[in-house]
Amino acid sequence: MRQLVNALLKYKNALLYIGLLIISFLFLNQRSFYHQSIFSNASLVLSSNLNQAGKNISSYLNLASSNEKLIAENIKLKGLELILFSEQAEKNQATDNFPFQVIGARIIKNNYQSARNYLIIDQGYLDGVEKEMGVISSDGIIGIVNQITANFSSVISILHRDIKINASFKKNGAYGSLYWQGNHPKKMKLDDVSTINPILVGDTIVTGGMSDYFPYGIPIGKVSSFKRPKLEGYYDIDIELFSNLTQKEFVYVLKNKMKDQLNQLKYE
Amino acid sequence: MNSDNILHIFQFFLLLFLQSFLLNNINLFGFINPNLYLLFIIIYRLDGNPTLLIIIGFVMGLLLDLLTQGSGGHTIATLTIAFLRLSIIKFSFGVNYDVPMGMIKGSLLRQRLLYFMLMVVIHHLILYSIVYFSFDNTITILKNTLFTSFFTFIMVYISLGLFREKND
Repeated sequence: MRQLVNALLKYKNALLYIGLLIISFLFLNQRSFYHQSIFSNASLVLSSNLNQAGKNISSYLNLASSNEKLIAENIKLKGLELILFSEQAEKNQATDNFPFQVIGARIIKNNYQSARNYLIIDQGYLDGVEKEMGVISSDGIIGIVNQITANFSSVISILHRDIKINASFKKNGAYGSLYWQGNHPKKMKLDDVSTINPILVGDTIVTGGMSDYFPYGIPIGKVSSFKRPKLEGYYDIDIELFSNLTQKEFVYVLKNKMKDQLNQLKYE
Repeated sequence: MNSDNILHIFQFFLLLFLQSFLLNNINLFGFINPNLYLLFIIIYRLDGNPTLLIIIGFVMGLLLDLLTQGSGGHTIATLTIAFLRLSIIKFSFGVNYDVPMGMIKGSLLRQRLLYFMLMVVIHHLILYSIVYFSFDNTITILKNTLFTSFFTFIMVYISLGLFREKND
């Protein structure tokens, strides 16, 4: 104990310096967006590489179960393809104009415990991923790309308290904004839906077409309960997600080919 | 000793306000702002408490960053130079540097200039590395360090003459 105290006294200047240096780096990180983005990019490079090493091992051990999932997804896709083929005769033009291109990716780090969650996927700008692209999975939406490196990207999960997503009712198109309150990874809130729209428990919620990130009509979840406040003109709706974001492995990044044109319109 | 402390506190705030309200707005040739506040750390007693100096350096840099809307470069640079000062003193004045107060008068001119130069250049190098924080800007960092150090050095040297006359 005494030796410890002596050692501490001997190096007190160095320890004090390191402590204050850490504080000043935190200060720097707080105050400057430029430094913040460099720090977060560096931490993305570090954590993505470390996590991929771990993920490679665990994904090898899970090959059998992920195979099953892939087969199930393939069956579903095959069904959709067949439906599409049958409708293609009259809808040829619509599919040609579909502005989204799909990039497949694997999640190498998934987080859902904190209030602001991020994922890391193994596709970066070399694979064509860009910032602010939407990310979906086989049965719902995942989030939006926010940082990219050469081979990895970090994605803001929809389980993030500061993100709001445009969503609408499948049956009548009434729309609102979907956000997460930070508790259960399958429960979200839908806000800003006007009370003039009739809704029921069990109604399906899909992505609205008003965001650039997602195409219209990807199923997100269903209404689990709702309240109609007396004084406000908006419902208070609880949504239960279809997808379980705690068990995802493969995702698809959506590249909006028309985004430049949309932005041009918006900022002019 | 007590009047010494009061003098130090006076110097501290004088240099801090001078730096943040006057010197940081000079923009000579568009980018040169001499950092005279470093003078406080340079003329701090050679046998003074180094732990206290580290804390003072941190507080000074922090206040300066807050006053000038800086991002945090001054904090890190001043803190680091306060920490490194002991080694720089040993390097420039030799091992038996323990001349208490009159170090600036008693030492050789060559040693004195080396000490000022090291303090100023290292401080500026850290400051601009933190402010630009990217390898792509290495040339800019070196250029800023060189020119600003030069002007700071001149100002430090001149003000040192002023201080000395007053102390005598």
